Amino acid sequence: MRPIAKIKTLFAQSNVTVGSEADSKMVNDALSAFDESMRTETAVVQPSVRRTIMKSRITKLAVAALIVIAAALSITLLQNAAVPAYALDQTVAALKNVRFMHLVAHNDAGQIEDERWIEVGMDGFQIRYRQENPVPRNFGVIEDGESTAVYRNDKRAVIIYDRKDMQYQWVGELGKAFENLRREGKILQENADYQDRRAHKVWWPMLSSECYVDPETKLPISIGRTQLTYEEPPAGTFEIVIPEGYTVIDKRPGTVTEPVPEWLLEEENAQQNKAECFNQGTHALARGDYAQAAKQLEQALGYDSWACFWLGSAYYGLGQYDLAVEKFTKMLDIFKEFSRDADQLCSYCYYARGLAYARLGMDEEAKADWQVCLPLMIRTLRIPSAGWTFEYADNPLIRYGEYKPSERETVIKMINRLRLITGENFGYDPDAAAEDKEKAIAAWEQWFESSGQIKFSPDAEILPAPETAEDADK
Amino acid sequence: MQDMLLLTMCKQGDRDGLRRIYEKYRDGLLILAIALSGDVNISEDAVHDTFVKFAGSVRDFKLTGSLRAYLAACVANRVRDLIRTRRNQACSLEQHRLSSVDLNDPSRAVICNEQLERLSSALAGLPHEQREAVVLRAYGQMRFSVIAKSLGVSVNTVKGRYRYGIGKLRSILNGEVRK
Repeated sequence: MRPIAKIKTLFAQSNVTVGSEADSKMVNDALSAFDESMRTETAVVQPSVRRTIMKSRITKLAVAALIVIAAALSITLLQNAAVPAYALDQTVAALKNVRFMHLVAHNDAGQIEDERWIEVGMDGFQIRYRQENPVPRNFGVIEDGESTAVYRNDKRAVIIYDRKDMQYQWVGELGKAFENLRREGKILQENADYQDRRAHKVWWPMLSSECYVDPETKLPISIGRTQLTYEEPPAGTFEIVIPEGYTVIDKRPGTVTEPVPEWLLEEENAQQNKAECFNQGTHALARGDYAQAAKQLEQALGYDSWACFWLGSAYYGLGQYDLAVEKFTKMLDIFKEFSRDADQLCSYCYYARGLAYARLGMDEEAKADWQVCLPLMIRTLRIPSAGWTFEYADNPLIRYGEYKPSERETVIKMINRLRLITGENFGYDPDAAAEDKEKAIAAWEQWFESSGQIKFSPDAEILPAPETAEDADK
Repeated sequence: MQDMLLLTMCKQGDRDGLRRIYEKYRDGLLILAIALSGDVNISEDAVHDTFVKFAGSVRDFKLTGSLRAYLAACVANRVRDLIRTRRNQACSLEQHRLSSVDLNDPSRAVICNEQLERLSSALAGLPHEQREAVVLRAYGQMRFSVIAKSLGVSVNTVKGRYRYGIGKLRSILNGEVRK
């Protein structure tokens, strides 16, 4: 018998005998609270003239007739002025009219860990920007439209760049993010409950996050753990101000400045070298040259958090699974430091680490990791864009725009991943009729809901990925 | 009698409506609380507090789903609060659970049958978060989204906890069978 069935059976057969004293106390206390609340009610709604009049039978009939007429009228009016269903286009249109965005994320202790103000231009591009990360990084950025000031509080220094040379962003080009929502977003639930209010729950693929949309304004009010508002910021928000005692390092062209400090020169040179190694390492990984990828990506650590993940992938490719586990774990730690949504954002990382654990024979650890990533994997079967990060993780060329998986390919690959870690098949055929594919997807969902077993199955039947763009677009 | 009708009776000030709701759900909620906490004292208090609070607010209560699921979520939350309140600093939720007392002590106000003892014993092997997800799903037949809302966590977190909990239960129950 399956564990959940057994638990349900035990629940059904469980029984308690409640002593009369305990029973009396519970019921009497509840009735006292009930009586108390009803007394309050009576005090609030005192009998009034209106109630006295309502006791008249004629009045009751007259009111009943009025209610019938009002109901008929309201039905007609409602038919003429039906509330339109929510559509993502409405949110995109509302966002296009937004001039300011205020984003705040708190940590578990209730402290602000990330606060950003963004002024958005009519073209959807960011005009001015402010970011503060008081904890744990103690870091800040202000862009005033022409220059970018980076506040290195650890060095008590402000580095000022020309905006063309250095730009910080929330999600890259905002216009593209909005377009992504319009084209690939999914409405998960209309009028869902969100923090004691109604909000539409939406999946925003580019941000790999669920967001909640205000039904009135159609604007997102939260994305993942980040809360959004759209008020105009206080005066001076985008003004670059130098704190007292801070050194200014002005790197804008044509400016005369003090010699660049040694620490910054070292940081910049190191960063440049890392960037080159990262580029070479990711391309080596994409062509399957794992030894070269590992060598280069080791040098690129710290340049980009993905260096750590792809280094893990290179070690996995080399069969050095213990090192792969170490790097994937490091990647998870990095994400957890910067985002409270790490589990969701890093589903692919749990998947990859689970594979490495499984190869090491650490089945329990593998299962624990796969439990975390399974919900997103199953979701991808219906919402392919949900599995975007898995594709990105598997092929670094996506980063450079040199490769773009289709939705069909994303689903096929996700089915393969599921088969690999579960041993289940469910007969998904990408070329079958829609209803047959639907049956297979429903079977996967049913398997997930009923807590089917996870079982690493390296010999699982793997579906061929589309080889041509034509195949991919089928 | 249907819950909606009982609630209507309550809203109209009919004490019998409340009494019937109490009688209808008391045992199930106690079983749920014992499954969650393994402690009859905490369970009794959690169910008591839940009914008192419910009785005090039933006038303004709006049922949007199942009353059974609503009360189950309230009890689960109250159990968690009570465990947190009562544990000493060196005693975690799990440690508290494992140190629970004899459920069938005849001097207790609430006596459990053998199946409940087995249920409680099997669930004792799970961390509290996983136990909540499994118990609310199994007892309350609650949807993951409802459990997530009541626990204040994401749906994926609940699904993960549930699946992991079920996985552990499988080995616990298999071990039980082998014994």
